This record gives sequence, C-alpha cells and structure tokens, in this order.
Amino acid sequence: MSDPSAPLALTTHLALVSSISFGGFPTVLPDVRNFVVGTHGWMTDQDFANIFAMAQSIPGPNMILMMSFVGWKVWGFPGAVASAFATFGPPCMIYFASYRLWDRFGDAPWQQIVRLGLIPVIMGLVIASGTVMARAADTSWPAVALTIAAAAITLTTRLSPMWMLLVGGALGGLGLL
Amino acid sequence: MTEMAQRRELEQAVPLTALFTAFLAVSLYGVGGGSGIVWARRIAVEKRGWISDREFADIVSLCQFMPGPNIVGIAVCVGAKMRGTIGTIAAVSGFLVIPWAIGFSVGLLFLEYAHAPVLRNILSGIAAAAAGLLIATGIRLLLPHRRRPALLFAGLAFGLITFARLPLLAVLFVLVPLSIALAAIEKARAR
Repeated sequence: MSDPSAPLALTTHLALVSSISFGGFPTVLPDVRNFVVGTHGWMTDQDFANIFAMAQSIPGPNMILMMSFVGWKVWGFPGAVASAFATFGPPCMIYFASYRLWDRFGDAPWQQIVRLGLIPVIMGLVIASGTVMARAADTSWPAVALTIAAAAITLTTRLSPMWMLLVGGALGGLGLL
Repeated sequence: MTEMAQRRELEQAVPLTALFTAFLAVSLYGVGGGSGIVWARRIAVEKRGWISDREFADIVSLCQFMPGPNIVGIAVCVGAKMRGTIGTIAAVSGFLVIPWAIGFSVGLLFLEYAHAPVLRNILSGIAAAAAGLLIATGIRLLLPHRRRPALLFAGLAFGLITFARLPLLAVLFVLVPLSIALAAIEKARAR
C-alpha cells in the first residue's frame, strides 16, 4: 500500500487476467488471490475470503464488485474504479468483436453445426453450476426441497423468479431451512 | 422475407433507455453468482421478446466460451444485436453503473454486519431458491435438443463438473470438439 506503483500493478494484472478468464471470472480467482495476498501482501487471506462472501450475496455484477473491493483496499476509491474497469473492459471488447464476427456469418452451414454442438455442452454446464450452488446452499432437507420446488415451478409456470427468491429469503429468515 | 423486414423494424424500434433499464433489472435481480442468466432470459426473451430462446442459447454459448464475466457478455451481445455499438454501451452501462454504485455502498456496510445470523439465514434461503432457478433455466434451454444424441454431452458436461469436479476449461476443450463432430455427423445423415 506504501508502494506508489501498487495501483498500476494491480490494474494491469486485473486487465490481463480478465482477458484470459475463460469460463468466467471465478476461474482466475485463485490467481488473483496469489497476486494480492501472496506476492504483494496487500490484504490477508481472511480479508479476501470476506470480500468473496460479500460479493456473492449482494445483487449486481458481483465479480466486478469483488475486484473493486480489492482495488479499494489497495488505493481507495480511485483504485476501486480502476479495478472495475480493468475487470470488465477488456472482456467487453472481446465479446463485442466476437459477436460481430459470429453474427456476420449468419446462417452459414458450419455455424449451425458449431451451434448444435456447443449448446448441449454449455447447458450441461449451466445445470451443473446450479447444482454446485445448490450443494453449497442446501445444508438441510427443507433447503433441498426449496431448490427442487423453485426449479419445478420455473419449468412449469411463467411466475416471476422474484417470488421464489422472496419465499426463499423469508423461509431462511424465519429459520425454517 | 416480410418476417425479416418486421424483425428489422423491431430492432430499429428498441429505445436505448429500454436496453439500459432491462439490463439494470437483470443486474439488480441477479443475486449470487450465475443467476443473472435466469433474469437475462426472463427479461430479454419472455418479457420484451427481443430475442428467441434459440438466439439466447447462442449468445450464452458464445459468452461462455469467451473470457470475462459471462452475464456482461449477454448485455454486450443483446445490445449489439438490437442497436449496434451504441446499444452495447446502453446495455452495459445499465448493467453496471447503478448496480455498481449500490453494491459498492451496500458492500462497505455489509462487511460490518456480515456475521449477523438472521442476515446469513436469509441469504442462504435466497441462495437455495436461486440454485433451483439456474437449474430450471439450463433445462429449459436444452428442451429443443431433447431428441438429439448430443444430449449425451449435456449429461457428460454436467457429470464431469458436478461429480468429477474437473476444471471448467478442461471440460470445455474436451467435450466441445466431440459435440461439434457429432453435430456434423447428424447434419450429414439428415441430408
């Protein structure tokens, strides 16, 4: 924190890892932890874990927020803003360029094949991340039932997901889970 | 042809403020990692009818394969589809600016009270429901493919991550080429 080049080092590092964070930012979290806790000692492991837990449970772009808190620890408010830009800026440009490219080839036969191949794998991964989240969240049988009920209601009705989240929060707050 | 023309008109007609507020809502509703996709589908496909389920599955697949926070990628792609560069800027700003300011302030407070048991219970209840929503969204986007042999790869991807706990990147780079090869064979047979 005393080193004046710290903000620059952090921002550069975040821009770099965000450009290679295939499969989402959580995949590079271990690397970021090593950088800020191990290599530079800007915060403790406990600080890092607290920031992670908080970013997971507040609404909004949580990985960007998480990196903003890391930036905040290093360089206050400017650090928070710089870290946010470093986290979403490079990937946004990559998304934009690749979407343009994808769109240009429209209904080329190879693109349909790629699409048909890609979608089942990716949707398997989406269901898997739901299951992994459920494993972390469902610490009791009523919580498992809640997860299953939320999935079943979403599949069979067009009820807003907000109701499921509200009921979940209420049941949890009443200590029923 | 007329359908294409109607499409174009619809795309012209989407105001930037609508893109901004839609992705603001996606961002604010998406509590916890991953559930943003639930809201992005709900709002862009079901409520606004900007894109079809097929296009949405395409965008999610594309974003999953690129580096970065995937839900921001959905904002980039939907914005680009509806209004080009300016649409992307509107959707991404909607997704980020206000939620970031709120999240940052709430976060500073939250770090003070994170140990309160009631808060912790509420959050774990929300997390349990959110997990169910995510599972349902994945299943729903798979439904159009349910009669294809490629469903096997959905099962494999699910199992390798959930039970074998392999790294995401490894799973992607092994399964995707195989799944695309199978799709190519299916296509050749159908011809």
